[in-house]
Amino acid sequence: MFLLLMFVVMAAAAPLLTPYRPTGNAVSANYDPPTWITLINGPVGYSQNAQFSALSVNMSSSGLATIPTKTGNSVALDFAGSSPGGTVQITETLSYPYQGSPKQIIGDAMILIPGSGALNKSFNVTAYVNRIGVSRFLFWSPTTINKTGTYNPSPAINSGNPAFNSQLGIGQQFSAANYVFAAEKANYQYVLTISVPAGFSGRINVSSFDLNLFGNTWGIFGTDDAGHDIFTQVVYGARLSLEVGLVATGIGIGLGLLIGLMAGYLGKIVDEVLMRTTDMLLVIPFLPLLIVLVATIGPSLIYIILLIGFFSWMGFARVIRSQVLSLRERPFIEAAKASGAGTGYITVRHIFPNIVSLTYVNLALTVPASIVTEAALSFLGLGDPTVITWGSMLGAANSVGATVSNLAWWWILPPGLSIALISLAFILLGYAMDELFNPRLRRRR
Amino acid sequence: MGLRGYLVKRLLNTVVLVIFVIILNFVIFELLPGPNGAIANLTGRAKGNPQAIHNLQLQLGLCQSFDSNGKCIPPSLWSKFFVYFQNMLTFNFGQSQQTGNSVLHDMIGTGRLWNTLELLGTATAISLIVGILLGVVVAARRGGVFDSTMVTVSLTTFSLPTFFMGLLLILVFALYLPWFPSGGVTPSTWLLGTPPLLQQILTRIRYLFLPALTLTLFFYGGNLLLTRATMGEALTEDYITTARAKGLPERTVLFKHALRNASLPIVTNAALAFGGILGGAIITETVFNWDGLGLWLYNAIYWHDFPVLQAMFYIIALCVIGANLVSDIVYGMIDPRIKYE
Repeated sequence: MFLLLMFVVMAAAAPLLTPYRPTGNAVSANYDPPTWITLINGPVGYSQNAQFSALSVNMSSSGLATIPTKTGNSVALDFAGSSPGGTVQITETLSYPYQGSPKQIIGDAMILIPGSGALNKSFNVTAYVNRIGVSRFLFWSPTTINKTGTYNPSPAINSGNPAFNSQLGIGQQFSAANYVFAAEKANYQYVLTISVPAGFSGRINVSSFDLNLFGNTWGIFGTDDAGHDIFTQVVYGARLSLEVGLVATGIGIGLGLLIGLMAGYLGKIVDEVLMRTTDMLLVIPFLPLLIVLVATIGPSLIYIILLIGFFSWMGFARVIRSQVLSLRERPFIEAAKASGAGTGYITVRHIFPNIVSLTYVNLALTVPASIVTEAALSFLGLGDPTVITWGSMLGAANSVGATVSNLAWWWILPPGLSIALISLAFILLGYAMDELFNPRLRRRR
Repeated sequence: MGLRGYLVKRLLNTVVLVIFVIILNFVIFELLPGPNGAIANLTGRAKGNPQAIHNLQLQLGLCQSFDSNGKCIPPSLWSKFFVYFQNMLTFNFGQSQQTGNSVLHDMIGTGRLWNTLELLGTATAISLIVGILLGVVVAARRGGVFDSTMVTVSLTTFSLPTFFMGLLLILVFALYLPWFPSGGVTPSTWLLGTPPLLQQILTRIRYLFLPALTLTLFFYGGNLLLTRATMGEALTEDYITTARAKGLPERTVLFKHALRNASLPIVTNAALAFGGILGGAIITETVFNWDGLGLWLYNAIYWHDFPVLQAMFYIIALCVIGANLVSDIVYGMIDPRIKYE
């Protein structure tokens, strides 16, 4: 019961629990294990995301340039033309707190020379990372800029970019992130240097001056193969799973009630036709039928829910029918009939209340079946491609885990255990209701 | 009505079911919008060559003939259904769109059917034996610690979906403890040359172990719980008291007297659960890359290989219907109490 409540809360509060979207941008490097792994293995070798501080500006001589605007990662510089020349250093700092290298680094620095303040002379720009007191890594080779336009470091600052390795002068087999940021606590500076000649005038806009370090651990459940937050996916998956389970079961129960009541109460030819159909549908293997149906109609969450619902009424209809058959012969129905009650009235007022308990029990047992069925379809790649469910997470983990070393436990356990726990919760609920409502079991206790 | 009448009725029922399945298949694959689009895609492959397109359309049954302007005259629905019905009864499923071979060849000639039977047979046999044995033991010690432990364990393994169980087993027994291969039926080196027979068998068992274990873990629970329930009922009967009073050993009482009488629902259930086992096999084969019918079906979904999909659904449905018929017949023959209504 508590488990169930937990999942319901999780589903309802999904946007509060996590700031990310299940299919949004990467939050960290790919295949990051959860952060709490450091509690087990110790902090050595592990890192988390880190970002350099807001920038600060230093000039070789005061009054070299004026600063009209400045934010955390952008600054505008105005050179008047009367200056003696010199350098402007734009610096961001980072006190790296982890004992492991980051897995990936992505950065940028953009220089924009607006058309209005055309340059009278050329100037030089360069960017580097400085491990304070140890060494300096050139991120942007000195570049001369003499006209209006936008300039970015080339090659782009990204440890996944082979050209960036060449820029740093290391072989392709090495990681630029490891090379620049050693696996120890240290202080770093990310510096952009602008050198202007004497008499230089014009406007230089610096923006997107960032360097992001993606750690090799992330969050509560880690990340998947594209760097998405798994916790977010699990939380939003709870929403979808409950939706699928409840709606599909609702459809199934509704159909089952309708058909069971009709067959049981109307009897004769209606009963015969309905029950033969039910028997036939019961024999048809359910999962393969769903697979071919979804494969032909096309994967969409709505269709999947409808199909699961439409094919889960048979067992319930039979239970209802047999219950109605036994109820129909009871004296109180006879009495109602004798006092002139119509079929509809008897069904609603006398028969229905007596089978409601069965409905609850069946509800609790059909919901997990629907959830698992949807998960199985998603696992086979037949799920709605626009949403991420627990099943599709497992399917993705399985398909990229074709080379087994890629199989990530933090990608498999959370959705798998969620499916198992939510099923177990509903099944236990079903048993509890059965004991509550089933007079035979009640007497035995 | 005697036994013969009962059998005839069951048989008729089965024939009706088979016809129903064929109609269902026809409705799904001929009348729903998806596959027609897929067939159009297929003819699109022969773009630019009208004769090739015509031939394909004729071959796929999209067109009956062409008029003088080369316009397609589609066959009537009834004649389409008639041809389809004939094809289904003669197991003529057409060509796989993936390979261009006949579907039947891809199903049997490539060893897929055998691989699936190997996996299914092993898992079903083991889960039946283990489930029934444990069920008997548990029923004999009802209420004890072993009883409640086993019931909890089997409920848990029962509620773990097969794909999760499979991934877990791969994670533990193939990745962290590299005892078993993570997937496949045979090592890829066998393509070059096969080792001696004994080694072949041992290797195959190693490859079979994890997928079979996955399926077994999923299905023994149901058998255990059912055996426990029916045995519980049988053990309260008078003839058990009699047998015990005669001084028969407990084992004889349990297995000869109680289990025999309790076995009827178990037999029926085994047949009825067959559809579920096949469904589980599709997923297990996908997880373990086991080159059987399930993986074939999975790939057919990916390739939109509709001839394979419809053949597979038909065959699976036939298997399940067959299993039901067999269980009905067995039930009718071994249970003297059954009324041939």
